Amino acid sequence: MSDTGRVAHSLLLVDDEPRIRRVLRLALEDEGYQVAEAANGYDALAALRREPPDVVLLDLMLPDRDGFTVCREIRRASDVPVIMVTARTDSHDVVAGLEAGADDYVTKPLVAKELSARIRALLRRVEPANARQADLLEIGDLRIDVPGAEVTRDGAVLPLTRTEFKLLAELAGAEGKVLSREQLLSKVWGYGYFGDSRIVDVHIRRLRLKIERDPASPKHLVTARGLGYRLVS
Amino acid sequence: MLGRFSLRGRVMLAYGLLALGLSTVLSVVTWSVVSDYLVQQREAAAETITVDNAAALRYGLFGPPEPCRPSHERVECDSPTLQKGVSVTELMNSLPATDAAASMLYLEDHWYSLTGKPSDLPPDMIQDAIGGNVVQRRIDVGGQPVLAVGVPIGRQGDAFFEWHPLNSLDATLQRMKITLIAAAIATALLGLAVGRLASTLALRPLAELTRVADHVARGKLDARLQAENDKDLGGLARSFNQTAAALERRVAADARFAGDVSHELRTPLMTMLNSMQLIQNHRAELPAAVREPVELLGDDLDRFRRLVIDLLEISRDDGGDRGSREIVRIADLVRAAADAAAGREVTDVEPEAEGLTLQADKRRLERVIANLVENAEDHAGGCKGVGVAAGGLGVVITVDDAGPGIAVEDRTRIFERFGRGEMSSRGRGVGLGLAIVARHVEWHHGTIQVTDRPGGGARFVVELPAKIS
Repeated sequence: MSDTGRVAHSLLLVDDEPRIRRVLRLALEDEGYQVAEAANGYDALAALRREPPDVVLLDLMLPDRDGFTVCREIRRASDVPVIMVTARTDSHDVVAGLEAGADDYVTKPLVAKELSARIRALLRRVEPANARQADLLEIGDLRIDVPGAEVTRDGAVLPLTRTEFKLLAELAGAEGKVLSREQLLSKVWGYGYFGDSRIVDVHIRRLRLKIERDPASPKHLVTARGLGYRLVS
Repeated sequence: MLGRFSLRGRVMLAYGLLALGLSTVLSVVTWSVVSDYLVQQREAAAETITVDNAAALRYGLFGPPEPCRPSHERVECDSPTLQKGVSVTELMNSLPATDAAASMLYLEDHWYSLTGKPSDLPPDMIQDAIGGNVVQRRIDVGGQPVLAVGVPIGRQGDAFFEWHPLNSLDATLQRMKITLIAAAIATALLGLAVGRLASTLALRPLAELTRVADHVARGKLDARLQAENDKDLGGLARSFNQTAAALERRVAADARFAGDVSHELRTPLMTMLNSMQLIQNHRAELPAAVREPVELLGDDLDRFRRLVIDLLEISRDDGGDRGSREIVRIADLVRAAADAAAGREVTDVEPEAEGLTLQADKRRLERVIANLVENAEDHAGGCKGVGVAAGGLGVVITVDDAGPGIAVEDRTRIFERFGRGEMSSRGRGVGLGLAIVARHVEWHHGTIQVTDRPGGGARFVVELPAKIS
């Protein structure tokens, strides 16, 4: 049911099954989203350029080119949150899809209500853990502008996706304390205890590539073995 | 009758009996040949001694023998005459010491005896010797076996007698007998040992077959026999391997089929689920007459979804999913899974169990706890509590329900696929939930069993190898 007085979030639905597109569009529209459809990767990229959506829902089993390629191309063009649809949670698809730039994943059979929860979690505004903290956080040579959702180093803006930014802001808000995978899953992705910790690990890896000078031996985003991650100056 | 023995036992027995038979025959032959030979030797030696003594005696009694004079018909010897002043007793005393136990001389109708009594000699033997023949006879003197020898000493009516003890010969023969019997027994035992060794060697491929068949029986379908090139066992090994391979293919095909079917089911299922959700979102707008059918449809659709998800879960494992392992605090996991599945707080963690951790696949363990709690909630009168305690393999998790309990004969069957047990009182349920539980517990090297809950109902007990960290 759409919230009156609030602009409906727009969604791009990429799936080659017409029946799936049709029923998901009906159900998601009923949940209050504006839904655009694409049957393949070309259409998806064209639709993305024509009218950028708030979230992309991407089936990995696309006919013309595989979903991973499409995901990488979407990532190159935009930082829009991407939720991928996989058949099985245990397959390499999950990690490969996350590596390709997806922010989260859902498995079939997929119900609009669950999907809606995932979308809401991805679109939620960042609220750093420590409210007293100013809008501007500094970690080493990184400057994190929370309201502006921007990270700069030496005046240059780092190209973080929304999810990566949220992850960084949560870690920065913890003021050097360790956050467990479960805590990060809950704060950033809105998962409970049984969220897939691989999502965190892959995002941490991607974040290191962007914020660390030497991602192989991170200085800021460090692993607390067996406990989780923390951000140090 | 041999059927009572194992194959190895039979081979051993055959070898043992064969060895015993052979060694017995050899012993008997050896015994008869050697004992005959020894007795002959003894008799010949005794005779020689007595004949020599008789010759010495003759010389002493009659002096050097005179040459015989040739007569017109034949050579004729004079009957020798006794020398003057000869002491017969001294003469006998001067004979060389031999093993002879008695020496007796019958001379001119008179007995001279150093030792031994002439009355011990059989009369016909005396007559024979006096008559001019060398005779020997086994006799008994004072209970001892002796060999008596009688030798004429040159004149009609005179003879010399000695007897030689046979004790030592008998003792030798006795020793030989014991030795031969011991050798026969030892050979038989050796035969048994050789039989055992041979049967072990011969049966080694059989032991290998047993081991591999056992692996296959326990679900390790890729186990194969190595003996395909063996001349004697190749056929068996090839047949076995072909059967195992066929079974493996079949099981893989079954798993693939289940996976494919549920995969195909997912698209229509997604359409139905989302359509149903839409309809239920607008339940208030539905005409009253269709609300109940829609509700029924929704319930069954949900069950259908669970079945497909369970089938996927099972086929995923059949497909050899290795899963992921991470260190998990078991109390936290059980609390999160059980409370979520029951929709209320049901978990009670013993203080000692709080710090226990386990290398686990969180998703699988969550299914274990959720399925058990949902099973209690949906089919057994509600979950009466979930306990986490230290003990057993490390941690013991109990899930109690308020149902009628599980009959003893159903307590393993309920963990089989679609094996919900005889009783229908547990009602609906697709019968895969507990099979998944059992598989996932096994995946974590744990155990699961079902018992009675004190106070009624069933208690599922899961033990997992957790430790303090």
